[in-house]
Amino acid sequence: MVEAAADKPGYSVPGVALRGVVSALPARRVTNEHFRGAFSDSDINDVIKMVGVEARHWVADDQTTADLCQAAASRLLDRLGWAPSSLDALIFVSQTPNQRLPATACELHGALGLSPTCQAFDVGLGCSGYVYGLWLASALILAGCRRVLLLAGDTSSRMVDPTDRGTALLFGDAGTASALEADAGAEPIHFVLGTDGGGAKNLIVQGGGFRTVAADARRAEGYDPGHLFMDGGAVFSFTLKAVPALVRDTLGRAGVGVDALDALVLHQANRFMLNHIAKKVGVGAERTPINIDRYGNTSSASIPLVLTTDLAERLTAAPMRLMMAGFGVGYSWGGAYMATQPLACAETLIL
Amino acid sequence: MSAFYEGLAEIFEIPPAEIGPGFSLVDNNWDSLAIVSVIALVDECENLMLDGPALAKCETVADIEALIAKARGG
Repeated sequence: MVEAAADKPGYSVPGVALRGVVSALPARRVTNEHFRGAFSDSDINDVIKMVGVEARHWVADDQTTADLCQAAASRLLDRLGWAPSSLDALIFVSQTPNQRLPATACELHGALGLSPTCQAFDVGLGCSGYVYGLWLASALILAGCRRVLLLAGDTSSRMVDPTDRGTALLFGDAGTASALEADAGAEPIHFVLGTDGGGAKNLIVQGGGFRTVAADARRAEGYDPGHLFMDGGAVFSFTLKAVPALVRDTLGRAGVGVDALDALVLHQANRFMLNHIAKKVGVGAERTPINIDRYGNTSSASIPLVLTTDLAERLTAAPMRLMMAGFGVGYSWGGAYMATQPLACAETLIL
Repeated sequence: MSAFYEGLAEIFEIPPAEIGPGFSLVDNNWDSLAIVSVIALVDECENLMLDGPALAKCETVADIEALIAKARGG
């Protein structure tokens, strides 16, 4: 059962194992050279110094998050030898679905040939989304599902304002698939989750929904409601405040110290911020993998993308103790402490 | 020279001797990247978290120091 220790925030879910992870990147690789001309050299150098992005992959016009996730899922099922009919649930975590309705998860259900008894639904979270997806998948397994496919990804390149230097260089696109399965022998996964709705306005794409976008101050300043607005300073202070506490609370829930960790896998928001958090939490750089230089901030895909790029060899070779933390848009955050057994598969595809 | 001033000099890429209470932020590229750098610097030096929007309104180093004093007091 899910424990609800009154003195420690969060939840502990026994009997759930991560079996494999596959990430899919679009083939188009965009280096910072692409932005010469649109921004001054000093602007670009400032962004590299702070944010740390040297290159990112962007989708083609006819490519969506669902396409990336579908390719990742097909490869994953193939590698695991899982028949599509054996899945009980598909969760699609993304802020860039194919359309307003139906849920993209339903389309993916069809495309992957899953069983009519398999549930499929979307979750509209970004930076924290992968940890929420793990939590939901774990809760579904605790409730009786045997196999859950968690798809997480975003194509933020389709939402950024190409003239906004704060966001234009930051984001990359990726789609991922993770396989979770009931396993009575698995150590509990420990979760801490939270939200601060007061921060919703600081990282937002106002257009595309059903609330009429008023001619507010942001538009007067030239922001297009169809583009991503980010108040970098506000999001940064939130992160520095929330994430060290999130890591502390999650490890506290699990009853382990930072020394027990093999890796602290943080949402790849900004290199400067990740280094600062790692220092503050007391985990050295050698245990805090960073891949934002190669792939940018890939929103809900960033944590699994670190697993398949920087940790693939270790994850497939030996057991690992991972602390994952997703945080940002919402504001929403989630921490998960998980002890993995060697994964059957941890791969990165280029489409 | 305090660690805070040294950190500011690094952020603005100028000699540390030029940093003082009267140093003008607005004349020295006081943009979102500089602001987040200062948030991290103050967190590191003072173990205090400054508010991004309040920091954005600062015009001089003295204004930042006033914010730090206020955060410490509160």
